[in-house]
Amino acid sequence: MEFHDNYPQYEIMSNHDEAYGKKARRTLWNVFWVMLAITIFELIIGFMAPDKGWSGTTWLKVLFISLTLVKAAAIVLWFMHLGHEVKFFKWAILAPYMLFIMYTTWIVLTEGTYSGQSGNFARVDPIFIKQQQELKLKKGHHGGEAHEAAPAEAHGEAHH
Amino acid sequence: MAHTAEIDTKEAWSGGQSPFRLSYGKIFMWFFLVSDALTFGGLLISYGFIRHKYADIWPKAENVFTHFPFVESHLPLAYVGLMTFILIMSSVTMVLAVEAGHRMDKKGVTIWMLWTIIGGLAFVGSQAWEWYHFIIGTHEGAVRNVWDMATGQYVQTTFHGANMVTNEYGVPQFANYFFFITGFHGTHVFSGVVLNFIIFLNVLKGTYEKRGHYEMVEKVGLYWHFVDLVWVFVFTFFYLL
Repeated sequence: MEFHDNYPQYEIMSNHDEAYGKKARRTLWNVFWVMLAITIFELIIGFMAPDKGWSGTTWLKVLFISLTLVKAAAIVLWFMHLGHEVKFFKWAILAPYMLFIMYTTWIVLTEGTYSGQSGNFARVDPIFIKQQQELKLKKGHHGGEAHEAAPAEAHGEAHH
Repeated sequence: MAHTAEIDTKEAWSGGQSPFRLSYGKIFMWFFLVSDALTFGGLLISYGFIRHKYADIWPKAENVFTHFPFVESHLPLAYVGLMTFILIMSSVTMVLAVEAGHRMDKKGVTIWMLWTIIGGLAFVGSQAWEWYHFIIGTHEGAVRNVWDMATGQYVQTTFHGANMVTNEYGVPQFANYFFFITGFHGTHVFSGVVLNFIIFLNVLKGTYEKRGHYEMVEKVGLYWHFVDLVWVFVFTFFYLL
């Protein structure tokens, strides 16, 4: 039984000629260079963050997450070619996923705020809190050069 | 391209053709990827939840992943930067293989597919190296309450490296999520390499040349880009933030 005889061959319709291919390749390489530049920028910021005291600040989180979303959009729209598909298909893929992610992120932020309260925090092994305090103290003493020192007491952050 | 032109909505849904102007196989690769992305989304969101809960005592990745091959110094982020570069690069070679397929350029598809496979293997190897150093840990280690089977109680001892129960870097959940999420991603990369290799053999055999189109390359390409897409998020949430 032949399934495809009355249907258009979408696989073959998507073939293109050399002139179109040249243009397509240029676009793809441009997307790659942009993604590489973003990644290098992220690494530089991430490398500087601990010494500059940027770690954990809201603006840094917002910056990293938005750059990640830019990269994700580049992969989905150009590399996975979703940007050029029929509009209805684009939304059939994106809408359910975005709905799920937004809902789950919202509910986790709500619940996470509750579970992070000190009353719900009691069962943590005190040894971790001690380790964290020691790390903070050490950072203060050596001005961010903690990995250069190798004190006798056990810790997880020293040069390894 | 021909099939991307806007079409009359009524005509598109009246039967006899795909309203999405795509083949069955490609549409379902997309829906599979949506379901897979939901799994990864769930994992990363639960990671965020636990990390938020233990925000004060959560280990910082820049203090944990500081190794680089053949370099005896403290280099945070450098290695994961290299891994990210390898994966983005292999994504480009994949998309170039797809593009060559659209021109029925068998030689181009072969070369770019081969580079993609090499990139994938390099990434899996890098991940194995990273896991190895995470598991064996540092010389100093850290004091932990470790469960002693013989006496049936916790004993305070210096612990090196990480497993699913104890790790020297901080709360056990850190290692749990690291193993689970990067492991799940690494498994995806590995199966992607296997799929790419099967399709690569078919390209060499001329299967798609005979068929008149290289859509199978496009389908594995979608999967491969998805793997790259997931890594972009893992990279941000595990290493940068």
